[in-house]
Amino acid sequence: MKTKIVWSKIARISAAMAASVGVLYAADSMTRFDAQPGSKMKIEGTSTLHDWTVEGGIIGGFFEADPGFTKDPAIVSKVTPKVEVEIPVRTLKSHAKPMDNVMYEAMKQKEHPKIKFTLKEMKLKGQPAGGNGPFLFDTKGELTVSGVTRTNVMIVAVQKIADGQLKFAGTNTMKMTDFGIKPPAPAFGAIKTGDEVKVSFEWMTAVGAAKAQ
Amino acid sequence: MNMSDNISMDFNRRDFLRGGSFATLATLLGGVELVAQAPKDKDATTYATGPAFTMKCAVIGLGSWGRDVLATLSRLKEAEIVAICDTYPASLKRSAASAPKARQVANYKEILDDKEIQAVIIATPSHLHKEIVLAALQAGKHVYCEAPLAATIDDAKAIARAAIANPKVYFQPGLQNRSEPQRHFLLPFMRSNAVGTYLMARAQWHKKTSWRAASPNPDREKELNWRLNRETSPGLIGEVNIHHLDGAAWYLRGLPAAVSGFGGILHWNDGRDVPDTVQAVLEFPRGVNLMVHSTLGNSFDADYEMYYGTDAAVMVREGKAWMFKEVDSPLLGWEVYARKDMFYKETGISLVANATKLVAITEKAGEKSLAETPLRYALEAFLTNSNEVATGVEDFLATFANSDTNAVRKHVATLKLQPAATVKEGFEATVVALKANEAVLKGSKIKLEKELFSLA
Repeated sequence: MKTKIVWSKIARISAAMAASVGVLYAADSMTRFDAQPGSKMKIEGTSTLHDWTVEGGIIGGFFEADPGFTKDPAIVSKVTPKVEVEIPVRTLKSHAKPMDNVMYEAMKQKEHPKIKFTLKEMKLKGQPAGGNGPFLFDTKGELTVSGVTRTNVMIVAVQKIADGQLKFAGTNTMKMTDFGIKPPAPAFGAIKTGDEVKVSFEWMTAVGAAKAQ
Repeated sequence: MNMSDNISMDFNRRDFLRGGSFATLATLLGGVELVAQAPKDKDATTYATGPAFTMKCAVIGLGSWGRDVLATLSRLKEAEIVAICDTYPASLKRSAASAPKARQVANYKEILDDKEIQAVIIATPSHLHKEIVLAALQAGKHVYCEAPLAATIDDAKAIARAAIANPKVYFQPGLQNRSEPQRHFLLPFMRSNAVGTYLMARAQWHKKTSWRAASPNPDREKELNWRLNRETSPGLIGEVNIHHLDGAAWYLRGLPAAVSGFGGILHWNDGRDVPDTVQAVLEFPRGVNLMVHSTLGNSFDADYEMYYGTDAAVMVREGKAWMFKEVDSPLLGWEVYARKDMFYKETGISLVANATKLVAITEKAGEKSLAETPLRYALEAFLTNSNEVATGVEDFLATFANSDTNAVRKHVATLKLQPAATVKEGFEATVVALKANEAVLKGSKIKLEKELFSLA
C-alpha cells in the first residue's frame, strides 16, 4: 500500500517535471528536489581597510536522492545522491557597486559566469537529537570557481522544512588563490584583500519545484 | 610674490569664479552649509576598467528638457545612445551634437520595435506620456518617465499600474531629487529632532521668462507651447513645483490632505490661459503647511526650499543645505566644527557629510555637489537599476524557468537598487501636483482624499 502511494507520487512528480522541463525524465528510481527561490549565499572576507560581505539570493540546481532519503538519510551510503548546484556570479553583491565590479573582474565573470558544484560523496555524520533538527552529512564534491575546479570537503546540514521541501546549509572557508583568483588590491594597491574567505549558504529545494512559488 | 600672497590670491580667485552663484553670497554672508560629500565608493570607480555594463538607450521627446536629458545622458559612460526621437525635425537636428551616432526617428514606435534598445527616456510633453509609456513597457523596455507622469490623474494611474504589472522592466519617474546624494544626506537631519517640531515649510521657483518657445507656424506653436494651454498643461505647479511637493512629502513623511490654490496671469498676457504666477498651500500631516509659489515675472531669490522647526530652520538650495538654529535650541555638538556661512544677519550651519570630522570644514567639501546635477544622479541610477533588474530577472528565470510574475516581482524586490523615485512616489507626486494645479485654476481649496492615491 505504502509503496503504491510513493510510486504514484513519483509518477505525478516525474510527469510534472517532464512537463516543466520539457524533456522526458527518468525519475523511476530517484526523487528530485529542484532549487527554489529564497536561498541565501554569503561570502565574508577581510581587507586592510575593513571586513567585507558579499551576498546572493540565487542558488540553482537540483538534489536527486533515493526516494527513501527523507525517511532514512543513512541511505546515502548505499545510493549516492546526485547533486548539481549553480550560482550566477553576478548575483553576488556587496554593499558597493564599484567593489562588485572589482570582484567580477577578479573572478573573470564574463568568461565564467557561474560557480558550479557537483557532489561526489555524501555520508551521514550525525542524527538530530530529536524532533526535526537537521541531519549532518560529510560531503565531498567538485567546486568550480572562475573556471578552476577543486575538491570541496564540507559538512552540510539537511533539514526537512515541509513535505517535499529540503533546506541545505553549510559553511566552508577557502582561499581565493586556490581558484586562481588574485585577491583584489583596489585603489592602486592601497587596499589589500585577505586571501581566505568564509562561504556560507542556505539552499532551498522542493520536489517538482521547477515552478517558483 | 610670497607664499601668503599666493594663498590669498587663490582664495579670492576661487571666490570670484563662484561669483554670481548663490553660494558666494552665502559664503560672504556667513550661513552654515548642509552638503553631502562625494560618496567614498565613487572613488573606487577609478580602478575598475571601463564601465561594468552599457545600456542601449533612446530618448523620446527632444524639447529643451529632453535635450538637457540627452546631453546629460551622453556624458554617462554606461549609456549607449542608439536612437533619438522627436516628431519635429528641427529638434532632432539640434540634438544631433549630443548623440552623433544615434539614429534619428520621428515615430517612437520605431524605437520600441528595435529589439536592441533596452531602455527609453520619455521627455515628451506630459499629456503625451501615457501612450508611449504603456507601449514601451509592453515592448519590454525600461522606462524613465519625466515628472509629472501625466497631465491627468487617470493617465498617471494607468502608467503606474502598468509599471507595477511589469516587474521584469524597471520604471523610474523623473523626480530626480530622489536620487541626489545631498538630499539623502539631509534626510536624517530632517527626520530627527535636529530641527525640533516642524512648524511650516515654504518653496519657491522665481524666474523672469515667458515659458514660451518661438515657433515657425501656428500648428507648431500649439504643439511646442503645450505648457501655456490649460487643456494640456499641468501648470507651473505641475511642471515645476512638483519637485517641491515631492520633497516635502519625503521629508515631512506623509501626503497632504488638502490644497488651496491661487494664481493669475499678471505679466505674460499674451493669449495664454495658464497662470504665470501661482501660490498654493498644502496641508501636510501634523498641522504642517507647505506654501509654494512660482512666478514667471520676477526672478528674485530664484529657487529654494525652507523647512521651519522650533529649534532650527533648514534651507535647501543649489544642491546644498544650511541650518539656522534658534538661540534657545540645544547644542547638537557637531555644529561647532561645521562650516558656517552668513545670510544677511543669520548664521547658517553647513550640513556636510562627516560634519563632526575636521574634513568637513575644508573648502573642498562643498564643491563637488555643484558639479553634478540631480538629473545626472537620476539618470545614473536609472541605467544602473535597469541593468540590475534586467540581469537579476535574467538570472532568476534562467534558474527558475517556470516562475510566474509574482515570483519575479518577489525576486526583483530583493535587488539592491540605487536610490531613485519609485512608481508609487511618482504617482503620488503627480496626483498632488495635478490637484494643486486644479486648485490654482479654480482659486479654491481641494481635499485630497486617500482614495485619490490608491493604485488598487
